[in-house]
Amino acid sequence: MSLAQPPKRFREAARAALANERIQGALDVATSRLHENRLEAWAGLEDVEALREQGREIRLGTLAGLDGHLDDFQRALEARGGHVHRCADAAGASARIVEICAAAGARLVAKSKSMATEEIGLNTALEEAGMEVVETDLGEWILQLAGEHPVHIVAPAIEKTAADVAELFSRVEGRPVSPELSELTRVARTRLREVFQNADVGVTGANFAVAETGSICLVSNEGNARLVSSLPRVHVVLLGMERVVPTLAELAVLLRLLARSATGQPLSSYTTLVTGPRRAGEQDGPEELHVVVLDNGRSGLRGTRYEEMLSCIRCGACLNVCPVYRKAGGGAYGPVYSGPMGAVLVPLLAGLERAPALPHASSLCGACTDACPVKIPLHDLLLDLRSDLAEGGIASRRERLGFTLWSLAWSSPRGYRLSTALARLGQPLARLAGPGRVWAAGRALPRLSRRYRDSR
Amino acid sequence: MAGTVVQLFATCLGDLAFPAAVTDAEALLREAGFEVEFPAAQVCCGQPAFNAGHRKAARRVGRSFARAFSRAAPVVVPSGSCAAMAAHRLPELLGEEPWEVVELSAFLVAAGYEPPRRNVGRTVAYHDSCHMLRELRISDQPRRLLEASGATLSPLPRPDLCCGFGGTFSVRQPEVSLAMADEKLAGAAGAEALVTADPGCMAHLRGRAERAGGPRIVHLATALARGIG
Repeated sequence: MSLAQPPKRFREAARAALANERIQGALDVATSRLHENRLEAWAGLEDVEALREQGREIRLGTLAGLDGHLDDFQRALEARGGHVHRCADAAGASARIVEICAAAGARLVAKSKSMATEEIGLNTALEEAGMEVVETDLGEWILQLAGEHPVHIVAPAIEKTAADVAELFSRVEGRPVSPELSELTRVARTRLREVFQNADVGVTGANFAVAETGSICLVSNEGNARLVSSLPRVHVVLLGMERVVPTLAELAVLLRLLARSATGQPLSSYTTLVTGPRRAGEQDGPEELHVVVLDNGRSGLRGTRYEEMLSCIRCGACLNVCPVYRKAGGGAYGPVYSGPMGAVLVPLLAGLERAPALPHASSLCGACTDACPVKIPLHDLLLDLRSDLAEGGIASRRERLGFTLWSLAWSSPRGYRLSTALARLGQPLARLAGPGRVWAAGRALPRLSRRYRDSR
Repeated sequence: MAGTVVQLFATCLGDLAFPAAVTDAEALLREAGFEVEFPAAQVCCGQPAFNAGHRKAARRVGRSFARAFSRAAPVVVPSGSCAAMAAHRLPELLGEEPWEVVELSAFLVAAGYEPPRRNVGRTVAYHDSCHMLRELRISDQPRRLLEASGATLSPLPRPDLCCGFGGTFSVRQPEVSLAMADEKLAGAAGAEALVTADPGCMAHLRGRAERAGGPRIVHLATALARGIG
């Protein structure tokens, strides 16, 4: 799968989402609920601002010494019998995981939710190698059955209603399944239990990796991550290289922020620390544990203006508050990351020229920045990406020429008076072409009358 | 305070599209006892280009602001968005010392201004513009002034949501932009007028309401200086 995002895709996908009342309803209900839950959870903290600041400092401090922390992590994990593989790009990481699965003789691979595996297109790679892959996160499983991609980094099937899910499950079961939650979860539990029991390899992402202990931290609400990481003989973790924390003490701080910001819970139902494969005398756990560390463009951000984006802990709070996301839906941003974090991260990872519409897919309202638990200035980063588009010559020639001419005219009061007098005369023409035409398709154009300055 | 000078920054959109709102802002400042100067060399803060990423163009236009305004008296702006640009972005963009730039309602409240009760018995909704709310952190002052003028405030269901203007966003993603406006207008259906302190939001919401129906869109300065009518 590619992160590239053709220029017109956002507008076309947003148009389709806007025309679908079910999607609009589902987005409104779900994002509003998650948003309110976060506000309530944040309000329950003694000093949320201090905690956010602490979280931000931990993330930025870790990024500053990332190489050392990754080395520590690798040493600690290897000392416990785990294997670490560092991969430079998506293709390399996919190939390595396919190799590990093939070496394990895997026919069935069980996955728990991981956006990093979406980023590298892992399912396709495993399927091409002849393996069956089953998503075991309920939302991800629903999407897999529907042949769709996640539209939210935390609640991947946020645009699906219970009725949509019942329709899909009826197809799987070959009998009518009612859209009641208890019935839907019963179907999922029965079907997925077989997968947990029979899978040869379990693949998970990682919310964090702890350098001092070599542990992987998994945060989930369904328990599937625990089953996927403990029942199959081999456990493979795909870890974004930036998700390491130096110590358990720092992990504790970030965990206080993560679930509260994602779902409004003080902690998720399951917060799991996996430290190495099964040891002698232990009853469960995998025989082999492999951690694949993914770069895929991340190290290129280090030391740049955009390094801060690597402090993202993938809570999804910015999606839930974003007025553009809640109308356009997640698919408009592409198949992997969406909302404000996606609008920043996708161009950074894929290359700005391969996702030029995303930095502009925002009204710059700043709600994302206020919602970010680690205080990433998301809307400022979008502004900087826009500047890179303009200065890098990726913005259209027409757009650049337009702003240059405008700025020349408006650099002096005389030019301003002259150009606006002409604009006033040309008013009836404004609706015929260019931005005026787009504006006028749904809105009356403002009428230019006598300027305030001429009335004094 | 009588005779204290303030510099009025009309903003380009105010000057061109909403001159009455600027006149009302000037009237309020005089009513509050200030001497209002209008530096004739003013043009625009450069925000349209800055937010679109065209910093060179923004700098070129922003310099007109630097030439027009002095640092000897506060610059008062009937626009939260332009005030945020002039206060927070321009100094860095131009490499200049900051000006004392204050949004109109915040300035009036800080000056202890009590508006005459021109809106007794009226119900209005107030729309927070994003830059005023999040960059300037001004949300109480316009509401306090409206209530002091006698109006009853009808709360919007989600006052934190953007109305969908967003400068060039309004024409790059027109469908999303309009859907955001429609939600905002629908939320204000119970009010006689939707009041906002930003000409950008006003142009967008008023233009949409003219086409698709909705409450009257009134600038805060007009609501205070003349009543919502």
